[in-house]
Amino acid sequence: MNNPVELKNLHIKAGNNTLVNNVSLTVKEGEIFGLVGESGSGKTLTAKAIIDLLPEGLTYTADKIITAGKDMLTASDEEKRDHIGKKIGYIPQNTVFYLHPLIKIKNQIGDGYIQHMHKTKKEALEKAEVLLSKVGFKSPKTVLNYYPWQLSGGMRQRCNIAMALMNDPKLIIADEPTTALDTTVQKQVMELFKSINEEMKLSILLISHDLGLVKRYSHSLGVMYAGQIVESGCTETVFNEPGHPYTRLLIKIIPSLKMKKNEPLTEIPGFVKDKDRDSKGCLFYCRCPKAMDICKEGVKEHTDDTGDHYYRCNLE
Amino acid sequence: MLSYVLDRLKSSILVLFVVSIITFFVLMIIPGNPAQLILGTDATPEAIAELSSAMGLDKPLYQRYLSWLLDLFKLDMGKSYVYGESVTTLIGRSIPVTFSISIFAMAMAVFIAFLFGMLSAIKKNSIIDYFSRSLMQLGTAIPSFWIGMVLIVYFGVRLKVLPVSGFVPIDRGFADFMKSIFLPSLVLAIGEVGTLLRIVRSSMLDSLKQDYMDMARVKGLSAGTIYIKYALRGALTAPLTIIGMQLAKLAGGTTVVETIFALPGLGRLVLTAVEHRDIVLLQGLVMFITSTVVIVTLIVDILVMFLNPRIKSFHRGE
Amino acid sequence: MKKNISLILGIILVFIIIGIWVLSFVHMPYNPNEMNISNRFLRPGFDSDYILGTDNFGRDILSRIMYGSRNVLLVALVSVTLGSLVGIFLGALAAILKGLTEKIIMRIMDGLMAFPGILLAMMLVAVLERGIKGSIAAISIFMVPVFSRLVYSMILDTENLLYIKAAKSYGSSKGQIFFKHYIPAMLPRLVTQFSSSMGSAVMIETSLSFLGLGIQPPFASWGLMLSEARQFFLVYPYLAVAPGIAIIITVLGFNLMGDGLNDILISRRSNDE
Repeated sequence: MNNPVELKNLHIKAGNNTLVNNVSLTVKEGEIFGLVGESGSGKTLTAKAIIDLLPEGLTYTADKIITAGKDMLTASDEEKRDHIGKKIGYIPQNTVFYLHPLIKIKNQIGDGYIQHMHKTKKEALEKAEVLLSKVGFKSPKTVLNYYPWQLSGGMRQRCNIAMALMNDPKLIIADEPTTALDTTVQKQVMELFKSINEEMKLSILLISHDLGLVKRYSHSLGVMYAGQIVESGCTETVFNEPGHPYTRLLIKIIPSLKMKKNEPLTEIPGFVKDKDRDSKGCLFYCRCPKAMDICKEGVKEHTDDTGDHYYRCNLE
Repeated sequence: MLSYVLDRLKSSILVLFVVSIITFFVLMIIPGNPAQLILGTDATPEAIAELSSAMGLDKPLYQRYLSWLLDLFKLDMGKSYVYGESVTTLIGRSIPVTFSISIFAMAMAVFIAFLFGMLSAIKKNSIIDYFSRSLMQLGTAIPSFWIGMVLIVYFGVRLKVLPVSGFVPIDRGFADFMKSIFLPSLVLAIGEVGTLLRIVRSSMLDSLKQDYMDMARVKGLSAGTIYIKYALRGALTAPLTIIGMQLAKLAGGTTVVETIFALPGLGRLVLTAVEHRDIVLLQGLVMFITSTVVIVTLIVDILVMFLNPRIKSFHRGE
Repeated sequence: MKKNISLILGIILVFIIIGIWVLSFVHMPYNPNEMNISNRFLRPGFDSDYILGTDNFGRDILSRIMYGSRNVLLVALVSVTLGSLVGIFLGALAAILKGLTEKIIMRIMDGLMAFPGILLAMMLVAVLERGIKGSIAAISIFMVPVFSRLVYSMILDTENLLYIKAAKSYGSSKGQIFFKHYIPAMLPRLVTQFSSSMGSAVMIETSLSFLGLGIQPPFASWGLMLSEARQFFLVYPYLAVAPGIAIIITVLGFNLMGDGLNDILISRRSNDE
């Protein structure tokens, strides 16, 4: 049985410019995998490559792409589309325009279900009602009759989640699902993910720039920087013994409630590199507090005995 | 919603009022006494004076305007001196001709514009896209009288399959009716298709870039659902508005085509009125045609509002 | 960068027409109005003395096309210039003065826009004399609402831009602000609109003269040539070819040039049209 997601050596390029370089990751059955990184780190592109949704003009190569148990590299376009539609739920970051603004919820929530599961519209609406109450709507029938713009951001996101669950997917890909929402709604949505994950044994690939969020909810994680995974492993291990200086800095700057008043928020100086991402040297070199001369030439990769904790750095 | 409709209604009435002023006063500048025009050059001064006062020409302008406006409300637009018949009757007789060819022409233009507009947006920079873009340019650059002549030579004279002049009313057989309006409608459609195609294409391109298209693709929906239910649904507003404007324009802009194909429609009446300076007839025609334009535009605007419930209640990027 | 094909093609076509126009003052093969009944209906051909043939009066079609370009371009250029000047003035007046002036001007423009196609032009021709002056007046008035609405909405759009607010707070007069700030900001759109309006002006002029409401015989104009050809073209189709192509080239040229200018000056997205 394949893992829900397995990526090996994914490269994404825009012309000759490398955007994502040599990314490998595995999401195991039933786990929440957090993919963390700053904006521009390539985490969303990686997710889009998994569901065959890369924007026009970008090309990718990979040694292996397994999506929800199916090898995407050998599948035809039609097989891919069909498989992704059936087995994957996608939850976007921006809630405003992912639901078609001119179509009532009831007319767009079930069309994938009707097509892939060969159901009638009535059955689809029944299922939608069940899911909408599951995601916390008290009167799902009313919601179904609304246009997306008549709902608040949090309500729209819950509709997106219900829509993603329509086909009983094996995998949910959630791209910054709570970024556009305020803190209380954010918590509700994340708790919802957690319960879905526990009850339905569903794997979730959670993409976020918020390390605090990933720490709280994910089982494993990968840290992306400038198009590379610089560290990955079991969440607990990574937080207890971070190997990469970037991860350490990120952990340090998670804002916490214990912070003293007037204590300045720390930040990492500099910007994410967006050129020469395919160079052999360490891409974090310019911003790294512990940079050494050898870092310009190459990077050492470390994997622990269980093969789970991975990081790339010349420090021991 | 209701306030939007009322708002549009109010401005439509205002536009018609302005049009009535423009029409009445512009046609007042016409040199020469209308009574003289009607009676001819060899009429006696007494006869002219008599007719002038009978027509109310000796009253002050604003009084004449008001009584003209009042008659207009009663659908009494006076008598055409060229035809010697009431303007209302003349217009009523011409409506079927002009409206038949306008509506059929728009039906053709809409079909072609949506077919090629959608295909060319979906397959951007393909052969079909280049074809559509050429059609778009040529459609607006080819004069209707010229393409009309070309079609007459080809279909009417070479192939002898279609009549090249005259109008057959629908009650004298549907097939003959369609045959008689096909070529004129085609000429009108060619004139309108370019503009519409351009709008459909750019709206579709815009819609295809929207986030909801990503969602539709991830859901693995069939091409039909993706392109028609999602993309086209998001791309309808602008084309519908244009269709309304074009339909309105054709209601009064078919003079050239009616002339080439010898059709007894509104356009021919306008031409006759202009040629003979038949002021009464021209005033009536202009008011009728502009009213049609304003009413069609109003209906389309309200229709667009129903299709696009966000108007007035939602702004992008809320 | 993708080459701007519309603009290049448009400029080439416009140059062809302007070339013909200039040449018509330098040299025409025959007198365009000279009738020669014995030479009527000569078919076109490169070996013929009359490359584009002769019409029902035996007049040389090539010379008439060349002569006709004068009328078409004169009417289009003068009327679009007049119409745009008046339109810009009224639109700016409405947007800057606001209040009652704005209401009256814009309502009149709405009213003028309600006249579909060439109806307004035809109505004006009924009042004015037929011929070049009548056509110019009619087409100018047709262009006024097009430009005034454009300028009006552009001024309202740019009004809130920072540099204009700043100029206002420095106490620049309304006229100064208009000429120093609005005009340069609006120029790209005005230039684009001017080019496309030339296309529509040519179309209206030829339609009017086709209907016999424009330039009167015996003078040559492309619309009139097609109108005269109507009686004979079933037998001599070539009569309709040259004037038709001349009109298409001119309208296409100005339209493409307008589109191309729009691409480089305004939207900068040449592949999206």
